[in-house]
Amino acid sequence: MAESAETAGTAPLWAVVLLPVVLTVVALAAAGFDAVLSAGAEHGRGAGRGARTLRAAVAPVREGIALLARQRRRTTADDAALGRIGIALVPLAAVLAAAVVPWGFRAVTDPVVGIVWFNAMEALAWAAVWLAGWGPNSVLSLIGGYRFLAQGLAYELPHMFALTTAALGAGSLRVGEVVRAQQGMWFVVWMPAAFAVYLLSACAMAFWGPFGHPLGRDVAGGVVAEYSGVDRLLLLGGRWLLLVATAAFSVPLFLGGGHGPLLPAWAWTVLKTAGVLALLIVGRRLVPTLRMERYMEFAWLVLVPLTLLQALVVAVVVLNR
Amino acid sequence: MDVKGAARRVLAGSPPVLLVTLPGATAERLAVEAGLRERGWPLAESPAAAAALVVAGEPSGPHVEWLGTLWSGMPRPKAYVTVAGAAESGRALDAVPRLLIAEPLGAGPQPGPPHGVVSPPEDHEVPESHGGHADHGGHHGGLVAGLPMAERADDRDGLRLDQLHLSLGPALPDWPTGLIVDVVMQGDVIQQAEVRPVPGGPPAQGSFWNEPWQRAARGEPVTRGAAERRRCAAHLDSVGRFLAVAGWSGPAARARRLRDAVLGGAGREELVGEVRPLVRQVDGSRTLRRLTTGIGPLPAARAKSVGVTGPALVADGDAHARVCVWLKEIERSLSGLEDARALAVDAENTENTKNTESTVGPRGRCDGLLSPSRALLDALPGLLRGAEFACARLIVASVDPDLDELQGAGHG
Repeated sequence: MAESAETAGTAPLWAVVLLPVVLTVVALAAAGFDAVLSAGAEHGRGAGRGARTLRAAVAPVREGIALLARQRRRTTADDAALGRIGIALVPLAAVLAAAVVPWGFRAVTDPVVGIVWFNAMEALAWAAVWLAGWGPNSVLSLIGGYRFLAQGLAYELPHMFALTTAALGAGSLRVGEVVRAQQGMWFVVWMPAAFAVYLLSACAMAFWGPFGHPLGRDVAGGVVAEYSGVDRLLLLGGRWLLLVATAAFSVPLFLGGGHGPLLPAWAWTVLKTAGVLALLIVGRRLVPTLRMERYMEFAWLVLVPLTLLQALVVAVVVLNR
Repeated sequence: MDVKGAARRVLAGSPPVLLVTLPGATAERLAVEAGLRERGWPLAESPAAAAALVVAGEPSGPHVEWLGTLWSGMPRPKAYVTVAGAAESGRALDAVPRLLIAEPLGAGPQPGPPHGVVSPPEDHEVPESHGGHADHGGHHGGLVAGLPMAERADDRDGLRLDQLHLSLGPALPDWPTGLIVDVVMQGDVIQQAEVRPVPGGPPAQGSFWNEPWQRAARGEPVTRGAAERRRCAAHLDSVGRFLAVAGWSGPAARARRLRDAVLGGAGREELVGEVRPLVRQVDGSRTLRRLTTGIGPLPAARAKSVGVTGPALVADGDAHARVCVWLKEIERSLSGLEDARALAVDAENTENTKNTESTVGPRGRCDGLLSPSRALLDALPGLLRGAEFACARLIVASVDPDLDELQGAGHG
């Protein structure tokens, strides 16, 4: 490992401004990649593939700009204030969660309880989605909101055990310490189950992909069904930011953070994050949307015991060190 | 400088489209869907997401009101076009960007659906309007902002809970054309369901999907290959719809693309190479099986008793079983694409003849008194009762009645 004398710590102040920008750029790239794959399914191997791929790659940027041209919209007897608070909280939670993710070995902030902070921001997203679904006073939105609460119930417990396992391995809740503990060996090597469960819950907390039921097509968009213009942009864009933040957080937790040969630490972080995002974006195409009434059983009967067992193994190893 | 104007031009470059299909306009719907795919324009899921309302079919009196509600629920700028014939779809879609650029943003009248559109009182806010919106009549819990309060009733566990009267359809995404399901819901569980077609009645020309069988019945020469081609496309359409409702957009898009290829006359070899992997993937998906088994069980005995004759009878089971029957029939139809024998529809045929496959259309026997979809609609309320909203959508999609078949049928 090249960069062994890492200086885990906080980044300079300008990083606070840079963070949302970087997050947005990565989110646009990820959404573009997703759109390219979707266009592939839509058109097959027909002629004009190159032009279509190029068009799809910039589709998220185009869609974002197009939403700015549109009127905002309200529904009868809605609770606009609550709805808009919910919407604004989605991107906010994503940025705040990303604040503890180290790029290279430096994060915007590296508090003693970094992992707990990250988890708290995700709980904020629960409130956000629920409020956004409640706001419009519309059945389909409300069903979408409810779905996210059920989803939280299903994924949160295994997710927390997965987070705990990484913290246990490092003996610290500080993200910088977790990265330092992986200098020799990445946590994914001896915590594969925790890593796999974390990837599932990364999608679930971003209510995206197989866990996109709260915004399902069957409820005409669910939580987002009644929103247009800026509201829609913040909610759908915020979802991608959340996905990027959660995917990026798997890097310091399980994939050794900035550790790696030859390349500088920040480059490793970017590469690993891109790898995780690509895995999620490709993987989501293999399965339909998961309905929580069915997923719940799997989550509690398989994933909870699995993560507990994983935590036990890690605990025994740590005690004997 | 003109940020709004620039953003609007971007919007006009690929406007999200709310595609509404009127009874009898299946060919127009398929043409519009192909046109959208060609242009790379997204399909909007709700009025709020849509910049263009594209109506497949020619709206007449009874449709104007609900189209108007959809229209008034769309944020501006917005465009409205109708596609009266499949050949016109390209021209209609090409008009959308121009309309979007040209629409004045002031409060003036908008070029929406024709006369009789109920314009909402203009107070800057666009009122709620949706595929499912609250039923306004005959309730007693008082009104809040013109909407009725929820009533209360015992739920299935004997708890006294709020109940809500809703109409699902006719403009939900991936929903059978012209279908309205009036439901009473508690939470997101459906307590009661009643099925009715959208006002205005079925089209005079009958169902697009049954066309070969209808033509054969009229004595026109139709090959079996042509009929199998239509069946294959009909099932691909149904499978695409089901997968879209199940949230599996990739295979759904592939099914729809292949449907258009089948209808476009693509050769057998070319189709098999793409259809088979799709069938394998969907049929072999353990996740899809786990998610959809046990939903909307329709045992053969019960199916028979309401007169169901097609794949839903063969399936003798739940939503997943019905989808698997479609997949099997898609593969079987593909192998019969080049069958040049004449399709013989013999009205004298009764239940047990060997000749049935030539009289059974995509949804069931086309020679009976009862149209196949009438029977499916009769079975639907029983399947929906007690189902949760997401399951109800899957059940409707797995039955996929074609209301255009109701033409001439007695009740309804």
